[in-house]
Amino acid sequence: MDSLHIGSYTFSSRLILGTGKFSSSSVMLEAVKASGTQLVTVALRRFNREQPGDDLFTPLTSIPGITLMPNTSGASTAAEAVQAARIARELSGSPFIKVEIHPNPQHLMPDPIETYEASKILAKEGFLVMPYIPADPVLAKRLEEAGCVSVMPLGSAIGSGQGLATAEMLKIIIRESAIPVIVDAGLRSPSEAALAMEMGCDAVLVNSAVAVAGNPPVMAEAFAEAVAAGRKAFAAGIMEKSGIAVATSPLTSFLGTEA
Amino acid sequence: MSQMITIQVNGESFTLPAGSSVSNLLASIGSEQESVATVVNDQIVRPDNRASFRLKKGDRVEILIFAGGG
Amino acid sequence: MNPLPEWLSAGHDETRFRAMLSPDSPYTLEQLAGESKAITLRRFGRTMSLYAPLYLSNHCSSGCAYCGFASDRKTPRRRLEQEEIRKELGAMKRLGISDVLLLTGERTKAADFDYLRTSVATAAADMQRVTVEAFPMSVSEYRELAEAGCTGITIYQETYDPLRYAELHRWGPKKDFRERLETPSRALEGGIKTAGLGVLLGLADPQEDALMLYRHLRYLGKTYWRAGLSVSFPRIRPQTGSYEPPFPVSDHLLARMIFAFRIALPDVELVLSTRESPAFRDGMAGIGVTRMSIASRTTVGGYHDAESSDRGQFDVFDDRTAEAFCNALRDKNIEPVFKNWEHAYNGPSHMEAEK
Repeated sequence: MDSLHIGSYTFSSRLILGTGKFSSSSVMLEAVKASGTQLVTVALRRFNREQPGDDLFTPLTSIPGITLMPNTSGASTAAEAVQAARIARELSGSPFIKVEIHPNPQHLMPDPIETYEASKILAKEGFLVMPYIPADPVLAKRLEEAGCVSVMPLGSAIGSGQGLATAEMLKIIIRESAIPVIVDAGLRSPSEAALAMEMGCDAVLVNSAVAVAGNPPVMAEAFAEAVAAGRKAFAAGIMEKSGIAVATSPLTSFLGTEA
Repeated sequence: MSQMITIQVNGESFTLPAGSSVSNLLASIGSEQESVATVVNDQIVRPDNRASFRLKKGDRVEILIFAGGG
Repeated sequence: MNPLPEWLSAGHDETRFRAMLSPDSPYTLEQLAGESKAITLRRFGRTMSLYAPLYLSNHCSSGCAYCGFASDRKTPRRRLEQEEIRKELGAMKRLGISDVLLLTGERTKAADFDYLRTSVATAAADMQRVTVEAFPMSVSEYRELAEAGCTGITIYQETYDPLRYAELHRWGPKKDFRERLETPSRALEGGIKTAGLGVLLGLADPQEDALMLYRHLRYLGKTYWRAGLSVSFPRIRPQTGSYEPPFPVSDHLLARMIFAFRIALPDVELVLSTRESPAFRDGMAGIGVTRMSIASRTTVGGYHDAESSDRGQFDVFDDRTAEAFCNALRDKNIEPVFKNWEHAYNGPSHMEAEK
């Protein structure tokens, strides 16, 4: 599988993992290792002296090849996201930031306006900005213009497991983007990840589907295999669906016979 | 005997000796220096500044770690 | 010579396009026509956008081997003064035309940028849409042109093969392949809203040129994503001191090309001029082509004073009147559209809104 290039970074895996919702840190870490992922997203949380095992910085960064991508979840506004990003960069040393702003707790839908504002500011400050967005093709181009290194449109709402509900919009985004497109959120099973890769996206981000699976480390492996298969198929040139209509009366008889 | 001051740490009241530094605070709550971020009154305090950054009465301190999230 | 830019030399997502045009294509012409028609109908409806060309001047400083207006040809040179332009536009308006394409040759003292800009302003007063097919300009010149009321430019690369290009463009500013290649980018950068591209079919290998043209359009579409794009398909026809095209393109191949572009680029306007026969134009209407010129004169002026004996840049093949052509379209259940644009939206595109 060809490498993924984001900014000046090169990743040999096109599967990005989220670290939330796992039954324990140790299960999560096993899943991360089993998946072969090289990019993992983490949230900022207050230190709690009662639960020092929450801290993931040390365990994650001791896995070889891992780069951290902090996210700004919890922020409801651009200002909060920008502050969170700056704090996160101090801690991680990584320039990656997933701008994740979902003010409405019902569906956790990303706020396009706050996300755009935050991304613009952070891009200027030298972050490698990866915004999590609705599958809106114009928003994707605006963010590209603003200096983001990728866009991360959702397949469906976080944790909904509704797969590629936004498929048609994703296809447009993928076709028109000059930066990597990473489908993030809503993927339920490895076949959906493979489908996303077959569409031509550059990577997928999966969290819930691995974290709540019966056996997360094995599910993580399955996702990794699916992502690789989908990418391989895309690169090999997938057969066209036959959508070519045949008219009832010939349309080209006005051309006469071939010269 | 040194005076005690009250500050806010992660939204809760906390008392510690006047003139304490951020490093002192981290030691007294038992957190690792390297794997937390410290923010005092919305200002990020970098690891190399923590020993010299003195806390004052009423300071709002946030001590943050990376935890699981998607 | 500079190496070609990456977006031209490297192919991305063009498997289907190549398959449609390849000599052993799995797709028959009729299959492609069917899909092209379905897409045209969905995207453009049953309409044909109409425009007319107005040659402002046939002064030229370049030496293109195939052109009747090359600087070493003996054709009488003239340019229209603003009052004459107004008369021509008046005559065009009486035919119903409200969308004009202003043409000049390569940059000369007689027909320079100031003349062009003034002429654009004159045309913009009378026409809803003013497109310019002239010489490559700078970003700031395009911005001034947009401010004067120019809504689009057309510039043909003629051929994307640098060696063939060098052979054909023997002297003058048009020798610069790279400058010409980057012209649509500069125009869109300068706030011009639409760019029309094309190759002169017959000059070089049509499959290769079509592929390069496709890459050019994909690149512009991704980079200037607010811009409108169009493709024309000029095919070499006889002219004064005729040039024999080394790669003649048959009707079948031209049709296949048009269908391929329609299928691969569903949103791009596809344009046919009066170089083509009435039968070809009528046949392609509604199944791929969405814009055509009407009642064309390819001499300088020619609408107001129809008696000019000068030869034009090319011989018009479809010389039907505007009325006759519109009736032909209506017979095919296609509505001729003269005005598809609101004058109030003219002026430079605000692409750099938030920079």
